[in-house]
Amino acid sequence: MHIKIEKKEFSETVHIAARFAERKSATLAALSSILIITGDDGIKLRATNLETGIDLKLSGEVVSEGVVAIPAVILQQIASSLTGEGKISLEHTGDIVTITSGTGKSSIKTVPYADFPSIPFPENPKNRIIVPGVLLKNLFTAIASCASNSTVRPELASIYLAIEGGVLTAVATDSFRLAEKKVPLSNSGTQGKFLIPAKNALEIAQALSDDEIIVSFDEHQCAFVSEKGMLVSRLTNAVYPDYRQIIPKESIVEAVVLRKDFESALKRSTIFSDTFQKIRISFDPKKNNFAFFAKNADIGESNETLPARVSGSALELSFNHRYLSAVLGLTQAESISLTAAGIGRPLIIRGMNDTSLLYLVSPMNQ
Amino acid sequence: MDKGNLKELWEHILTQVELSISPANFNTWFRNSFITKIDDGVVYLAVPSQFFKDWYIKKFNTLLLKIVREVSYEFRNIEYVIVKDDHRKPPRENKNTRGALELPLEDFYINKSDNLNPRYTFDTFVIGSFNNLAYAAAQAALERPGITYNPLFIYGETGRGKTHLIQAIGNQFKKQYPGRKVFYLTSEKFTVDFTDSLQAGTANRFKDKYRQYDLLIMDDIQFLSKKDKTQEELFHLFNTLHDTNKQIIFSSDRPPIAIPDIFDRLKSRLASGMSIDIGEPDIESRMAIVRKKAALHGIMLTNEVVEYIATTLSGSIREIEGMVNNIVCHTQAKGGTPDIAEVRNSLRSFTRPQKNVSVKNIVDKVAEFYGIDEDSIYEKTRRREVVRPRQIIMYLLREDFNISYPTIGTKLGGRDHTTVIHSCEKIKREVLGDSELAKDIQDIRTLLV
Repeated sequence: MHIKIEKKEFSETVHIAARFAERKSATLAALSSILIITGDDGIKLRATNLETGIDLKLSGEVVSEGVVAIPAVILQQIASSLTGEGKISLEHTGDIVTITSGTGKSSIKTVPYADFPSIPFPENPKNRIIVPGVLLKNLFTAIASCASNSTVRPELASIYLAIEGGVLTAVATDSFRLAEKKVPLSNSGTQGKFLIPAKNALEIAQALSDDEIIVSFDEHQCAFVSEKGMLVSRLTNAVYPDYRQIIPKESIVEAVVLRKDFESALKRSTIFSDTFQKIRISFDPKKNNFAFFAKNADIGESNETLPARVSGSALELSFNHRYLSAVLGLTQAESISLTAAGIGRPLIIRGMNDTSLLYLVSPMNQ
Repeated sequence: MDKGNLKELWEHILTQVELSISPANFNTWFRNSFITKIDDGVVYLAVPSQFFKDWYIKKFNTLLLKIVREVSYEFRNIEYVIVKDDHRKPPRENKNTRGALELPLEDFYINKSDNLNPRYTFDTFVIGSFNNLAYAAAQAALERPGITYNPLFIYGETGRGKTHLIQAIGNQFKKQYPGRKVFYLTSEKFTVDFTDSLQAGTANRFKDKYRQYDLLIMDDIQFLSKKDKTQEELFHLFNTLHDTNKQIIFSSDRPPIAIPDIFDRLKSRLASGMSIDIGEPDIESRMAIVRKKAALHGIMLTNEVVEYIATTLSGSIREIEGMVNNIVCHTQAKGGTPDIAEVRNSLRSFTRPQKNVSVKNIVDKVAEFYGIDEDSIYEKTRRREVVRPRQIIMYLLREDFNISYPTIGTKLGGRDHTTVIHSCEKIKREVLGDSELAKDIQDIRTLLV
């Protein structure tokens, strides 16, 4: 095999692909490598850790065809050291790959590529939707943090994606709070739902291009295909809890506050939160304000009162402040609405004029 | 191999696969898979994800198929299924806890109210010429408790079955006289109880507690030596119980008269009833013991094995019991009774190492112990500080190493064998009464091991 590629493109592609290679060295050597394939489809870079996989196209000049596997870490280090314009050449002879860039020349030992697994594509291509990459990217990065870190319940460590009536709904919860975000789709024919491990979704989000992306899925596997290439992830095979049940249907009080007030007041109160990261919020409909209160025996206490439009009855609830501030990453709306259904019942936070988001957080015991 | 056992089949497949692919490959691809079911000749293999499924089909299908076909021609095909995450963990095998392997807990069960271990009964007691007198006395005492032999004093060396016998009396007494109270304790426990009660200021309660029993069994009475206050307490307790015709049973490792540092008035009382010794079990008794112990565990040993154990392990029954337990464990772990060769093998580690200590070594150690010049041992001197160690050396050589009297004499500077016999007899006699000497000899013995 012998190929010539623009340095910049090579470097970018290698960085993306390397993220998908297995980082644990104890496993199969082929899994911690990047596979470079040149054939009728041009040049392709492949990597997989058996959870996710990537197959990227690369434009370049193919002198001769062939396949080679190179340790991802090495290739990544080389790629990040490339500077300036110009082309890089990779030539494979025996079990050595020679990389020539400008004046430099390095030889790398290759890995037997026979062990490199094939990257599975969903079997039923009928389940597919087209979404702008940038949307999907934001969706995954915003919502993945709400999923559980523990793998004890694989369904909670996953993002639930449901496609129904031309809307893509993404849900993540760790049983203390829940985030639901909706994205309109251009084509409305497809229906379906799947669970993608949140960890994988984050990885994929970082590798997605901003262009239109075809998402296809079956029972066990999903793929994100763009012009640049294909990303796949295994799916969680579990039943997602019926989260709609826990969303309170009635409310006793609602407050609308400015996002920037909310953000800075919360930030200051956080300093005074105790070891349980507890912050108390109170709704006061008479004075029309919304307040944070935090007390730490070692530091002191703080009281923050924000002007708000409050309607309903007075109420006090306590929350983990991390769960409150998380909502700020989920919506860009200027004002935030907080709806409470009573003591011991979850609080719903939405962005004003942002119907796409629903954020639910359970209160702490008082 | 059982074709129907999924786990076993998969383990078999794994061992075969492991031979044909690299360890990295094996660890990556086979660690998280298992067989879910076998249905109509099709083996259903559970794999974690599509990656695995594709790769199995592509790379390992022929290999796996070949392996399962070798097991049985019934297996037509292998299907790969991706298993739901929550079912990923292979069904946990009901661990085949071989219950028999664990020593039954009831062996260690002790009845709190009377301290008796129900394991010690007359049913498990082997009666031979060495202990039939003690047994008869025990039966007589049970017949008319508190009257025939009171107190009953049983003594013998360690591991002769004293504790078994006296506890069996207790258990039998409970059975025969359901309303009456039995209590078993060691003299050490008695001492601790007594000192505790003194500390807590409840001496009266202590007195009352022990006076209520109809049968009091006290084990290892020799440990009371030098404990004056406890002895006094026991003396009074003894008087009370004896006067009200309550049966008392004692055990010790030596006759009452030979227990050092005990008040004479207590000593005479201990000896006032019936004192019986349990001797060394003869070969027939030992064989009977081996058989009985093995039978209790449900194992039949061949005559050859029984005889071998009985001849090799002389003296302590406890050692015999330990050996039998060893064999029992062996049998349960391996299945099948061990033959003579195996027994011999495990016995080797069990018996005391063959003592091949040179005479010189012993002389050195003893001379060092008494702080005298070792050469003086071989000399003809009759100085008192040399004579005693010399006699002890002779005694040790005879008792512990079974060296003949004439040899001992020659080795220790050409003495007549009658001198040696005299010395050995003398020390043997004195050891029984002189606790200092007994302790010295015990210390020297530890030095020699």
